[in-house]
Amino acid sequence: MIRLQNVYKEYNGKPALSDVNLHIGLGEFAFLTGPSGAGKSTLMRLLYREETPDRGVVTIGGINITRLSRGQVPLLRRRLGIVFQDFKLLSNQTVFDNVAYVLRALGVDELDVRRRVASALAIVSLEDKVSAFPETLSGGEQQRVGIARAIVNGPPVLLADEPTGNLDPQSSLEIVQLLERISERGTTVLISTHDVPIVNALRRRVITLKNGQVMGDVDSGVYEYEAAVR
Amino acid sequence: MRTLRILWRIARETVIGLRRSGWSNWLVISILAIALTIFGGVLQTTLTIKNVVSSWGSQLEISAYLKEGQDPQTVARTISQIPDVQIVEIVPKEVAWAEMQSHYKVAAVNNPLPNTLHVRLSNPAAVEKTAERLKTIGAIEHIRYPLKLARNLNKFRQFLEIAGLVITASLSAATLIVIGNTIHLVIQSKQREIEILSLTGVSPWYIKGPLILQGASYGTAAATIASSVLWVIHLYLDPYLHDQLLSFLPMTGVLADNGLLPTFMVVLILGVAVGAGGSAWTSGRYIKV
Repeated sequence: MIRLQNVYKEYNGKPALSDVNLHIGLGEFAFLTGPSGAGKSTLMRLLYREETPDRGVVTIGGINITRLSRGQVPLLRRRLGIVFQDFKLLSNQTVFDNVAYVLRALGVDELDVRRRVASALAIVSLEDKVSAFPETLSGGEQQRVGIARAIVNGPPVLLADEPTGNLDPQSSLEIVQLLERISERGTTVLISTHDVPIVNALRRRVITLKNGQVMGDVDSGVYEYEAAVR
Repeated sequence: MRTLRILWRIARETVIGLRRSGWSNWLVISILAIALTIFGGVLQTTLTIKNVVSSWGSQLEISAYLKEGQDPQTVARTISQIPDVQIVEIVPKEVAWAEMQSHYKVAAVNNPLPNTLHVRLSNPAAVEKTAERLKTIGAIEHIRYPLKLARNLNKFRQFLEIAGLVITASLSAATLIVIGNTIHLVIQSKQREIEILSLTGVSPWYIKGPLILQGASYGTAAATIASSVLWVIHLYLDPYLHDQLLSFLPMTGVLADNGLLPTFMVVLILGVAVGAGGSAWTSGRYIKV
């Protein structure tokens, strides 16, 4: 589903990613780990075409996204769900409206909006919070709203950039388990994180980046490589 | 239906943007309205002058005002001998005076008007040559012909056009800066929405559209104000100017009325172009989608 071939990206002459080769299959669940500055965020930005590589090819669903025109980028992003560390919720809108926001902007019929939002909120177990405003929710609940918004359009790929960065350990575990359940429904999930307990608790595929290079790629791995290379 | 729903959402976002801008709306509209009023005023005036000039320029007539005590018949006969002169019409000073009294309230004084000869020519190229010739006739005190006035008016029109263009351009630039700042503030206040929309694959037009429409609304509001001001000026000033021109040059007849509609249309188009253009430029600069 996601493939990177010999990807190279630099900022101001310093390589952020160097000869990265990766393949993440359909419905797969993977952690992208590594210390700060390892290149995790750069790799995520390449996937949602916020950046383009200086060399190499990035494909999602068989489409070479490095060659997309500016006009085609929105079409790519409609096939991706993105979860942010800081949730990026609209404080003046209810949970329902936050999740419905993008669907409405895409011109989806209001009946369909209601149906899809209800379904997404059911998946994240927030059916009883439809009328609540974000500030009245806990951090974990806010992140679940963010996840509902990311999956409401039924994307085949879900990218989560440090989704537990602002959460307590219990909420973090719940969020990652939720993402795991979403993956089980057929969505490819890639989580960028340096949350050691979470990675170690789930024992899923772990891709480790350091200094812009893939230093490890282990199925059922743990977050131990960083310690080894420190 | 989907397109209609998106357009409805864009209109809704535009209204939200206008509400968020508060007093800045009025600042932008005021400056743009001043610029458009000046532009419209200059445009209307130059159009009117152009009309007058073209109607005068096509008149092959010279008015000759005789000295006191000169016999109009004799002078008319002399003038008739000049090549290219077609008809010489005598307007006795008593007739001119009576006509003036019928049009205007004039004080009960002795008739100050001279006997006048209207000299009509057959060849447009001969107007100036004949005018020069008439000046040499001793019985003639003064001559006046439309072509000469047309030239002077044309010079005035050219000056007005340049001055109007400079003032309009300066005010438009000022408006663009204020629109830019206003739209930038809206973009900052919508930063999170814009980021979410952009990262979730919403069309750039949905994101930028409301901002461009907001600019276009400024242009429409300012053009409406400017057109109203121009209409009021037209209503009160035009009859006065009309009378002044007719008394100044009686033989021109009734002046053609341009009508204000073309000016209103140009003012509206310019207003919307400045408003929407300023917003589009600012959104292009600050929103990377």
